[in-house]
Amino acid sequence: MVSISTRVGKRKIEEPVMLASGILDETSGSILRSLESGAGISVTKSIGTEERKGYSTPIVSVIKTGMLNAVGLANPGIDAFLEEFTEVEKKDRIAVSIFGKDSEEFSYLAKRVEEAGFGIVELNLSCPHVQGFGSEVGQDPELVEDIIAEIRGKTNLQIWAKLTPNVTDLIEIARAAEKADAYVLINTLKATGVDIYSRNFLLSNKIGGYSGPGIKPVALRAVYDVFRETGKDIIGVGGISDWSDAIEFFLLGAKAVQVGTGIYYEDYAIFRKINEGISNYLEQEKFSSLDEIIGLMVRK
Amino acid sequence: MNFSEIKEINSLGRNIFSIRFNALEEAMPGQFLMIWVPGIKEVPMSISSMDNGFEITFKVYGEATKKLSEMNVGDRIFYRGPYGKPYPEPVGKTAYVAGGTGLASLKPLINKHGGDVYIGARTKDELFLLDSNFHISTDDGSMGFQGNVVDLFLSIGKVYDTIYVCGPEIMMKNFYDRAGRKYGKNVYFSLERLMKCGIGICDSCSINGFRVCRDGPVFSYDEISMMDEFGVKRRTESGKIELMIKR
Ligand SMILES: Cc1cc2nc3c(=O)[nH]c(=O)nc-3n(C[C@H](O)[C@H](O)[C@H](O)COP(=O)(O)OP(=O)(O)OC[C@H]3O[C@@H](n4cnc5c(N)ncnc54)[C@H](O)[C@@H]3O)c2cc1C
Ligand SMILES: Cc1cc2nc3c(=O)[nH]c(=O)nc-3n(C[C@H](O)[C@H](O)[C@H](O)COP(=O)(O)O)c2cc1C
Ligand code: FES
Repeated sequence: MVSISTRVGKRKIEEPVMLASGILDETSGSILRSLESGAGISVTKSIGTEERKGYSTPIVSVIKTGMLNAVGLANPGIDAFLEEFTEVEKKDRIAVSIFGKDSEEFSYLAKRVEEAGFGIVELNLSCPHVQGFGSEVGQDPELVEDIIAEIRGKTNLQIWAKLTPNVTDLIEIARAAEKADAYVLINTLKATGVDIYSRNFLLSNKIGGYSGPGIKPVALRAVYDVFRETGKDIIGVGGISDWSDAIEFFLLGAKAVQVGTGIYYEDYAIFRKINEGISNYLEQEKFSSLDEIIGLMVRK
Repeated sequence: MNFSEIKEINSLGRNIFSIRFNALEEAMPGQFLMIWVPGIKEVPMSISSMDNGFEITFKVYGEATKKLSEMNVGDRIFYRGPYGKPYPEPVGKTAYVAGGTGLASLKPLINKHGGDVYIGARTKDELFLLDSNFHISTDDGSMGFQGNVVDLFLSIGKVYDTIYVCGPEIMMKNFYDRAGRKYGKNVYFSLERLMKCGIGICDSCSINGFRVCRDGPVFSYDEISMMDEFGVKRRTESGKIELMIKR
């Protein structure tokens, strides 16, 4: 087997496929299950300072080209989250996703995460369907810069900045987030859908995020542009459902990938399938490590 | 999202109703649907019959079930599914142990394979779909044995090869603790947990890493034995873990 290990920021990661934030990662039991199923790292559901119930059902809708969701940042709040996760094993393979409205909230959450023994935070600067959070924060370059500087100043955590594609100039936001150790690209696309027989929106919140196979071309473009412009470490996410999708991301500069909606199609087996597929591809195409193909088409 | 016209709606007991509608999908006993009441919410419901379309049987708890109970023949019902793993086929002598609306989930299996049925409810008015052969218990003694359905099952003391249990989790835990080990391998439990997506991605129904919507809702005795949260802790809508109130 050709080695598929990779490195993101200062972290060495044995398997380059991770569990994306928000899918099967609210409970400790499920986080461990994904790690045991071959995810190199699992990112938790986004956690805020306070408990949030999220939106009422329907919160997801499967559509022809993927999925719409508006979960509404449901989360138990940092206190209850840490209480549940304090005793959990494999903390070194868990990245905690956090969201807040300003640098104060973000740095408070990051400090709590570090004190609890975790080493990586992923900043949700990109959820498209909750007022005052996520992409509303992530569209403001000054705020993004401020948040990352605060966390950098107050912790030794590895910082992954998850950015929104719902902006006119992604490069501007990426530059504002330059002090992060890596970018995570992309979160869902802001979207909606209609049930024509009940003449209702598919989601209770009307507006949600679009994920799954249909957004892969958009995610690839984001990875390509940001890698070309910044050369920084990137974790590619959006529409990956098999190993060949993952290879596309690597060739355009991603050092690792995340899978969310793909689990709906392939269940937990998706992690091992993609890991094995990557290894087979490298062997067949006569590469000796994953490193050799990362950004190959951009460096040329 | 699918929809169909309601063919039949019946009142079966105090605040208990069944709705039958046409459906082209195939379903197996133990599977469930996500029923959408537009403008209100989407709720999981067991399929209580899959011959001649689908039927759901429910008790009115809140907004969604209230609205469903007020629907009329000819109205549209919106749903997706069927979802979840079905009950395995029974072997040998079979018993069904149901608490409240848990009987809805067991009904297709009872109709297909027969066996002894133990059904418990708080009071007589909450019993439904009764048959003269059923063993009945009520908490208040208004009908049948006074006590809970697990007490009733144990007091009769018959031996079975396969047992299916569906009802409130506290009742199932009671069964698990007091009768589970004796029957071990061939006991199956159908769980009800708060569900949001119904398709195994949101994690709101998970119990020790098992998703009730996709890995269940039917679990074997051995699987239940791996869940230390079973009958002890549950999740609220935010995902926060809390103790189940009473034992
Ligand atoms: C897999 C699965 C299958 C199900 N099958 C059935 C079924 O066949 N028949 C059926 O009647 N229900 C079934 N349920 C439960 C059903 O989903 C709820 O009854 C429904 O969500 C209630 O929605 P509501 O808006 O009417 O009430 P809500 O507004 O959600 O609830 C009102 C109040 O009633 C309480 N409540 C709601 N449901 C229950 C319950 N089941 N037991 C005790 N208290 C409750 C709530 O905690 C709340 O206090 C099933 C659930 C699952 C997960
Ligand atoms: C149901 C659902 C919930 C999500 N919740 C979050 C979240 O809490 N925080 C976050 O940063 N991203 C969240 N996302 C976005 C995913 O992490 C991912 O960026 C996006 O879905 C694209 O990847 P995919 O096509 O592989 O799903 C969520 C996505 C889905 C489908
Ligand atoms: S209801 Fe979403 S995972 Fe089960």
